[in-house]
Amino acid sequence: MTRHLLKLVWNRKRSNVLIAVEILLSFIVLVGVTTLAVFYVDNYRKPLGYDVENIWTISFEKHAPGRSSVTIESGPEDAAAARKPVDRGFVGQRARIAQLMMSLRDMPEVESVAAAFVTPYSSNTWNSDIEVGGKHHRYGFNAATDDFARTLGLEVTRGRWFSRDDDGAAWTPVVLNERLAQEVFPDKDPIGQFVDEQRPGDSQGPRMRVVGVIREFRKDGEYAAPENFLFNRNRLDDPDVEVQPPNEIVVRVKPGTTAAFEEKAITRLRGAEPEWTFQAEPLTQSRETSHRLWLAPLSAAAVISVFLLIMVAMGLTGVLWLHVTQRTREIGLRRAKGATIVNIQRQLVGEVVVLTSIACLAGVVIIVQFPLLDVFSAVSPMVYGVSVAISLVCIYLLSMACAWVPSRLASAIQPAEALRYE
Amino acid sequence: MLKSYLKLAWKVLWRRKFFTAISLFGICFTLVVLMVASSVLDHVFAPQAPEVRQGRTLGMFRARMTGEHSTSTSMPGYQLIDRYARGIPGVERVAAFAMPQTVYSYKDGQRIKSLIKRTDAEYWRVLDFQFLEGGPFTDQDVANGAFVAVINATTRDRFFGGPPAVGRTFEADGLHFRVIGVVPDVGILRLVANGDIYAPLTTAKTDAYRRELLGGFGGLLLARSTAAFPSIKAELESRVRTAPLPGKEWTKLIAPAESLFDFLAGNLFSGRNEDRSHPERLWAVIIAAMLLFSTLPAVNLINLNMSRIMERASEIGVRKAFGASSRTLVSQFIVENLVLTLIGGAAGFVLSALVLRALTASGLIPYAHFALNYRVFGYGLGLALFFGLLSGVYPAWRMSRLDPVQALKGASR
Repeated sequence: MTRHLLKLVWNRKRSNVLIAVEILLSFIVLVGVTTLAVFYVDNYRKPLGYDVENIWTISFEKHAPGRSSVTIESGPEDAAAARKPVDRGFVGQRARIAQLMMSLRDMPEVESVAAAFVTPYSSNTWNSDIEVGGKHHRYGFNAATDDFARTLGLEVTRGRWFSRDDDGAAWTPVVLNERLAQEVFPDKDPIGQFVDEQRPGDSQGPRMRVVGVIREFRKDGEYAAPENFLFNRNRLDDPDVEVQPPNEIVVRVKPGTTAAFEEKAITRLRGAEPEWTFQAEPLTQSRETSHRLWLAPLSAAAVISVFLLIMVAMGLTGVLWLHVTQRTREIGLRRAKGATIVNIQRQLVGEVVVLTSIACLAGVVIIVQFPLLDVFSAVSPMVYGVSVAISLVCIYLLSMACAWVPSRLASAIQPAEALRYE
Repeated sequence: MLKSYLKLAWKVLWRRKFFTAISLFGICFTLVVLMVASSVLDHVFAPQAPEVRQGRTLGMFRARMTGEHSTSTSMPGYQLIDRYARGIPGVERVAAFAMPQTVYSYKDGQRIKSLIKRTDAEYWRVLDFQFLEGGPFTDQDVANGAFVAVINATTRDRFFGGPPAVGRTFEADGLHFRVIGVVPDVGILRLVANGDIYAPLTTAKTDAYRRELLGGFGGLLLARSTAAFPSIKAELESRVRTAPLPGKEWTKLIAPAESLFDFLAGNLFSGRNEDRSHPERLWAVIIAAMLLFSTLPAVNLINLNMSRIMERASEIGVRKAFGASSRTLVSQFIVENLVLTLIGGAAGFVLSALVLRALTASGLIPYAHFALNYRVFGYGLGLALFFGLLSGVYPAWRMSRLDPVQALKGASR
């Protein structure tokens, strides 16, 4: 049966090639959109690592009158990058930030306060990588205070978060997320391990030693691919260390705190530090903004591809219809030889299924190159697999539906009338 | 002759309404997507009021400091613009503006969120704002650190409920400003000209920004002519190279003068340690995306036309039998396709206008006003014509060379 259908398709190869190309292109468009959608859904299901409700972020501009987000890229040897003096006057700034946090802590609505270089959904980024055993591990970097885990509700899975115990340690305490811990120490307990290697001749500062592992910290939110993360301790009261001061404060408020908290907090902060500019936003609102940014490209692509598919469906139906009218004699002959209406319909739909299979095979060969060549490293092969499966189902349904309408037309052909032309 | 072609074309289009509708839908939809995409791009990049002199303006939008082990990327700092960009031969004016910052005002228990942009007085001479009320602040205002502000129309409505606003005062970020001018809203995606409140640089809460090499500022260099661009870029590059870096672990600082488009291309496509931006790559991506997108509708159109021409084998046979030449037949099909494409184009034009108006009204992008891009409309229509002709004329030409007897029999395989 299949061989016979293949032969029929081959006999009309010139017009079928165009149909196959059209199906192939639609398939690729569909895979593109569903890959993005599946990627989002897949990311959304994974744990976020922090709480969103009842948390506010307060960001402040320290010197420039302009808002500026910073992107920092550090190389492997610069793992202790946070200790590099990037700017002078950090000590003073840190003391001022500590003051601000103290004045927030006095407010009755506030449960806890922490500060960090990067907070959830923020536009600041600090990427770095470390080399362990000759292998590079890339990660997002953050420097946070001792209260950060408690304020954001980070789940510590192994070891502990930074605390007073780290005062005066001969190493830099770091906390990893599970992803990075498992990548660097696949079969070892990471607690107490050093993550950077001491090389002969290196006169770098103290080495980084793991004191704890947290479940997750996904800075860019639910739709972003989870990434490795490494935290340094940000001490505000240590005058010796030239650590990059925090850019943002996070505040956990008591449940039921209203938006009026914002004006109170901002007024208080302006009073404490009149030279700086403050912005406060509940994390729920930052999340909403970030979601809109993530979903905008998907919804635009989805709207466009739905219209594209409607157009293809209409075009395909029309073309197949014309083919059926051209094949009146052939169909009439088959009917005269005793083929039932169902037989004819099955043949016509079968031909389209064969065509679709050929097109999709070519499409899958093209799509497979993406995970093989690792074009988008954030997208896992599983995501491609699921989206190809979804697209296959959609394309088969679509093309069969397009073939079914004209095949009903064909079944109305009367053998006697069709054969009259012969 | 043409008249009878047109008449024929009209009749043919009406004979098979379903197929006409499919073709029209395809042409129309393709044009709408191309137009909307290009007018969004235009809204971000194309010269438009108040950036009427964008053609001969270079911007300083990024600075990158590279060390042995790490790289820090941000906007340039004020010092970088003030000390190194001024006085370059061929540059008429240099303006500095701080990146807009969100500030809060509290009015009757309500929060008003505005973007404040602090600029120097040159900013108003490099850009050409049409003032609704009052005028810009002057060099004198900037030198004195006067708390005066230019606001946009929406901010005027928020604070004062409408005109007149000049002379009245408002509070933002704990500071009190006196309004001296009102300008129309500028789309929020216009990096250079956007803002709700424009205030003198010197109203910043500290003057620490004056000593910063990196962070928070943008510069505008208005050249006398575009011919001077290469020499300005080279001069700025060599000057920036002499800037003292903040520590010995930093080895290089770059802050190129470039167009906004180059800046964005640089952000997207330049490697971590690449100094040059690659506008051609962004162009390639945009053009490739548009072509890729047009391929599917084009194949659809070709497919449909190819099949339809077979349907008309007998008609061609009759005409050939009565002595029509191949040329006559081909020109008849050309006219048919032209008519179809033009109708589709007109519908696409109207629909794009509607979609853009809806997009503007939706407020999805604050203050954005999307306008039709006639140039892109021309390209889109040209593309549709090209594919229409390709798909219509080739089979018609093949068909027109058929033996009339064969054609009459309808043997078109």
